[in-house]
Amino acid sequence: MAKRANKQVNLFYCAECEELARKVAHHSDAIQLRTISWRNFDDGFPNLFINNAHDIRGQHVAFLASFSSPGVIFEQISAIFALPKLFIASFTLVLPFFPTGSFERVEEEGDVATAFTMARILSMIPKSRGGPTSVVIYDIHALQERFYFGDDVLPCFETGIPLLLQRLHKLPDAENITIAFPDDGAWKRFHKLLLHFPMVVCAKVREGDKRIVRIKEGNPEGRHVVIVDDLVQSGGTLIECQKVLAAHGAGKVSAYVTHGVFPNKSWERFLHKGSEYQFAHFWITDSCPLTVKAITDKPPFEVLSLAGSIADALQI
Amino acid sequence: MPMPMPMGVASAVSSSDLFKSHPDNLGRPHQPEAAAVSLVFHPKSNHLRTVSQHSFRRRPPRNVDGWIGSELRMSLETRNGPSSADRGEGLHRIPGSPPLMAASPAVVSSIALPHERSKKSVCLFFCEEMRELAERVALAGDSIELRSITWRTFEDGFPNLFISYAQGIRGQHVAFLASFSSPAVIFEQLSVIYALPRLFISSFTLVLPFFPTGSYERMEDEGDVATAFTLARILSNIPISRGGPTSLVIFDIHALQERFYFGDSVLPCFESGVPLLMNRLQQLPDSDNISIAFPDDGAWKRFHKLLHHFPMIICNKVREGDQRIVRLKEGDPRGRHVVIVDDLVQSGGTLIECQKVLAAHGADRISAYVTHGIFPNRSWERFKHDNGAGPNNGFNYFWITDSCPLTVREVKNRAPFEILSLSVQIASALQI
Repeated sequence: MAKRANKQVNLFYCAECEELARKVAHHSDAIQLRTISWRNFDDGFPNLFINNAHDIRGQHVAFLASFSSPGVIFEQISAIFALPKLFIASFTLVLPFFPTGSFERVEEEGDVATAFTMARILSMIPKSRGGPTSVVIYDIHALQERFYFGDDVLPCFETGIPLLLQRLHKLPDAENITIAFPDDGAWKRFHKLLLHFPMVVCAKVREGDKRIVRIKEGNPEGRHVVIVDDLVQSGGTLIECQKVLAAHGAGKVSAYVTHGVFPNKSWERFLHKGSEYQFAHFWITDSCPLTVKAITDKPPFEVLSLAGSIADALQI
Repeated sequence: MPMPMPMGVASAVSSSDLFKSHPDNLGRPHQPEAAAVSLVFHPKSNHLRTVSQHSFRRRPPRNVDGWIGSELRMSLETRNGPSSADRGEGLHRIPGSPPLMAASPAVVSSIALPHERSKKSVCLFFCEEMRELAERVALAGDSIELRSITWRTFEDGFPNLFISYAQGIRGQHVAFLASFSSPAVIFEQLSVIYALPRLFISSFTLVLPFFPTGSYERMEDEGDVATAFTLARILSNIPISRGGPTSLVIFDIHALQERFYFGDSVLPCFESGVPLLMNRLQQLPDSDNISIAFPDDGAWKRFHKLLHHFPMIICNKVREGDQRIVRLKEGDPRGRHVVIVDDLVQSGGTLIECQKVLAAHGADRISAYVTHGIFPNRSWERFKHDNGAGPNNGFNYFWITDSCPLTVREVKNRAPFEILSLSVQIASALQI
């Protein structure tokens, strides 16, 4: 198969993504960083300027976004809506973590699906000369969310699991690893990517008023068990899983999530306190840059960077 | 002056009666265009009502707590006694009563509707910061009912919203009163705005009294990002309900060209708060000594037609070396109570510069009106009351509307500020 020539890509980014953007550019000669001046007017609304806008004419352009809170969405969306109209050759939006929707249940009429609102806003991105915008998202929380996007954008769903695979193969006890899933949902999503490992599947079971995590299938005894899920919020689910696995004889327990959301510093529960700890390793990617800043160099946390994967996605 | 024939009812009042001794005229020569009225037969109350040709020329009564009234009068105002509003009883609606056709044609009918339209019943949702204005709007129209939304947040900071009794609004006209006072509150309100039209309602109206962004922006270089356009795009994508495109009600949009930013899937409805000012000025004891000043030609172009029976002064900014100085371009403020009129105020610098120039040219006292009191970073603190001591000491009145509720909270009982409520106009706009 003839190798496709590398596309030259101009990569813009939001302020909180600067570190990840630098890593992405570092991965490939074909990717060049570009800047936007992010200021605010006195009334709090954004005052933005895309530097050297003329230079990107006829070029492939991408924007690395992070919607870590509702307050930062509007300024990034303004840049995202403006870039495709600058006579560029194509536009790709990289949004590693698609927020909203991880707590939502639309169960009753009256529930407002904010995930749908977010998808709708992204579906409004103007077309550039390259046609619809490509939107790159890693491990979207609910698989049905992929259907929320209209035809005016081309969603590209990636996963961070290959990074975990690479990391696991480097561990001294790589032969002794078992993957655990906190529920059937996680198993459905990820088991095919991790087939060569033995597996344990947990389930939440109701006992009276309480919800308890139980092992549904598999045997963790004596194994280094790695719990895998798409994201972590308070961490409650992971902690319950760890307890059950330890009670069933797991030798060591670690965890991997693509998105370390960790609101309200909930990562603190996982820190090693001297020699006492529940999690030997806790891997997250750099999809949530604010968390990454908080947990860098704090065991058990280790950051697996999406930079290489993003650099490849930009060549699509 | 053309007068449409009332339907099937002989006119009981001659046209000359309507304009005699009008309390608002105060001895000034009658200006036909300002008070054009028509006689309309209203099926519900079975009597003739005078209805203003200009939909929102209402005359709000004065209340004592700094709010200038937004009562909606359902019958002709009579001269036989003060309304409950004038007695300072706060806001409430005066129930319709049989008309007294006599001397008072004060133009206070509810809505300038053609006779065969009956009122739309509207379910009004609102964001929390607009609660007070929403309550006034509901009071101002008897067919407007307030509805609630539960506004919570998940731990990750993203909204957790629930529209109460969603099934109860099926087949109803629905409206949402929004306020985008900062970027952070846009996403949660947008989620509701996008969700409501899809609940089998019969029509959807978004009332966004102040359309932010764009007041500082200049698209001068390629690379400038027009956030006003971003916001217009987001609003243009409101899903269509059974009633067709969403109506979008905005007051005094900052740049007139912004009206063209909206696609065809919304119906923008551009209103103005200036009629509220008109009515308020006519109530002042020195209303015959008022001149209107515009800080620049832009403001004059936008507002002079609504205020044309007042003498006018126009200022402009002139460059002298490195500085920009405000100068008087036309008009004479000497001895006058000058009211500076603009669509919005941010830091207040422009108004203060105008004040200096007008005072230097002999204005007796100076007031200001803006529809939108944005006042970032508490900049309203620069505006002191003159306390009767003349224009160099401050402002006599500073009128703002309740389009910016966070500001209203700060200034509502502070002289020289007075709030003119948009509630009656909004209630009317919901009937369009």
